[in-house]
Amino acid sequence: MNAPSNNHLNRRSFLQKTSAGVGAGMVLGAPNILRAAEQASNDDINVALVGFGKQGTVLFDSMKNIPGLRFQAVCDIWDNSRKKALGRIRGLKRGYTATGYSDIDEMLATEKGLDAVVVATPDFWHSPHTVKCLEAGLNVYCEKMMSNTIDGARAMVRAMEKSGKLCQIGHQRRSNPRYRFTLEELIRKKNITGQIVNINGQWNRAVKSSQDISVNPKIVPKDDVLQKYGFKNAHEFMNWRVYRDLSGGPISDLGAHQIDIYNWFLGCSPKSVFASGGNDFFTEREHFDNVMAIFDFDTPQGGVRAFYQVLTTTSAGGGFWESFMGADATVKISEIPSSSAIYRESSAPDWEPLVNAGYLKKRAALAKPKEDSNAVASYASEAPEVYDLPGGFNKPAHQPHLENFFEAVRKNDFKHLTCDARHAFESEAPIYWVNPSALRKEPIVFTEEHLSV
Amino acid sequence: MKNKLIATTLCAFTAFALTNCGEKAADGGADTPVADDASAAVGGGGSSTGVAGGTQLETELPPELIEGTPKPMNVPGLQPEPKKIRDFYVPEGTELLSTGKTVTSSDDAPIIGELELITDGDKDAGEGYFVELLDESQWVQIDLEAAAEIHAVWVWHFHSQKRAYHDVIVQISDDPEFETGVTTVYNNDYDDSSGMGKGADSPYVETRYGLLVDGLGTKGRYVRLYSNGNTSNDMNHYIEVEVYGKKG
Repeated sequence: MNAPSNNHLNRRSFLQKTSAGVGAGMVLGAPNILRAAEQASNDDINVALVGFGKQGTVLFDSMKNIPGLRFQAVCDIWDNSRKKALGRIRGLKRGYTATGYSDIDEMLATEKGLDAVVVATPDFWHSPHTVKCLEAGLNVYCEKMMSNTIDGARAMVRAMEKSGKLCQIGHQRRSNPRYRFTLEELIRKKNITGQIVNINGQWNRAVKSSQDISVNPKIVPKDDVLQKYGFKNAHEFMNWRVYRDLSGGPISDLGAHQIDIYNWFLGCSPKSVFASGGNDFFTEREHFDNVMAIFDFDTPQGGVRAFYQVLTTTSAGGGFWESFMGADATVKISEIPSSSAIYRESSAPDWEPLVNAGYLKKRAALAKPKEDSNAVASYASEAPEVYDLPGGFNKPAHQPHLENFFEAVRKNDFKHLTCDARHAFESEAPIYWVNPSALRKEPIVFTEEHLSV
Repeated sequence: MKNKLIATTLCAFTAFALTNCGEKAADGGADTPVADDASAAVGGGGSSTGVAGGTQLETELPPELIEGTPKPMNVPGLQPEPKKIRDFYVPEGTELLSTGKTVTSSDDAPIIGELELITDGDKDAGEGYFVELLDESQWVQIDLEAAAEIHAVWVWHFHSQKRAYHDVIVQISDDPEFETGVTTVYNNDYDDSSGMGKGADSPYVETRYGLLVDGLGTKGRYVRLYSNGNTSNDMNHYIEVEVYGKKG
């Protein structure tokens, strides 16, 4: 690996580029020509994929769009997932094949020339796998949460810093152009919100999207394999997210995305958390099926009180988003553009210059409701003006974050990472205390012991 | 290339123009012959109610199972998601012909699963119940072992995530190569990106109710189904296909 390689074409783009100038015979021969054009380059980054379940597949669907990656090896304990990964790589038609492993130690001992590993195993394996790969001298992109335990996350930070290798954590919003533009240009440089006093956020997931994952019993790994890798049975294997020993539950799976943004945008950690949760619908599950939490922050601008809820029985309320409520404006932001907007208070400074400079686009005002003589007299404040947030992009949601990681690998530049393990830990540490607060039914005031590596 | 979103980034941000996974392919990848039969239809079997005065067609529906975060479906003319099975009538004596029948495909080495899953009678949406084929336009073909009068084709691609498959085309023929005597009973390729003619049917959202296509009483031994990726990724999937008709 020396320099970026952008020389591979997929078959579709190759045919599009060549069909105008060649005859049918040439088109029929295109796959062979293509294979020659897609020969792996010495400049490619050699990647191993560790864990190819649902999230591993999502990451692969982003990585395959990034030039200069060579998928050299795949490791998964389930032959169904290994076969899927190897098939997807074969489907890229890049003129090489990857090698499959069920054991990560065997993969690390056998594969030579690897540059990076993408870890998308269940949460309780994140830390052991990441630490192992860093100690083997490889750069690592690991899905969030860093671990199912705070000690596991601490071990990852220490391993990254001891090894000197890069470790990016998969809080993909940190590389999202809309989030970065909103934070860097609008909030920090233009102070568009004024003093942020409150934050609200949620991930509400419909009950039908929160059901157990089923599996054809014919293809489940054998019991001895499951138990070797920490699963008591097939249900745990398929639904590890609902077990306390294997994951952090919904506040970790879903909530970590939003709470990370709270901490990132404010640039500091909360001073306390007070949470409540329960198994009110999925009564047989170990983890809470709904959690509500309040974080208190002390920022240089003043106190901030932040509420967060993760619900698994309703899609109401617009799915998932974060809302930063300032004295001048509220920024509501989400990975979904239609859920994002800025609401200007009538007392805020004039935004016309920002609109004229292309920073914001004002939405058409909604028609005012008709006066109703029977209505109760209203003392509500004037409705804020609504503006669209800039920063759309035409890529899968995880792609910019993976691009950032691989760019940093090419540059061997730790500072290029948008979410290295230490910064991710600073942001994730308070999340590990949400479930304990809810279980104890009492607030937790953070000390250095709670939040430090 | 359709459905390409225009990036609206500002100053410090680069405008991106890569092809999204899940965008519709511009050319057919697999062997996609155009029917040489001048009378071949361009579909239209996706909204029919079947044969007047016939028997209502029923099947055992799989349970609803939706996983994960939904992906956007940027497809023009997408049909509203069904809330129940469409009322559809077939002649008396119509039976399920496809169970256990041999399935072949343009992708002879599926990425996951086996082609037999397509006619095994199991429509569950979980892991291990579907076959995944390569990207670009791919087909699967069911051999009914004898010509039949086909009145319905019911297909479940992948219903544990809301998504729309591109360029879904259903054809019937007596020719296993689908070079002659081909009748297209369903086609939702609205811009002919698969190169098999524009379709008269509308794109739809995958659900547990499946896609129910009127076979129009077409006689044939083979049923071939095409697709060209979907709105969530570039791959092609099948959980189950049921072919209903009258033998002989």
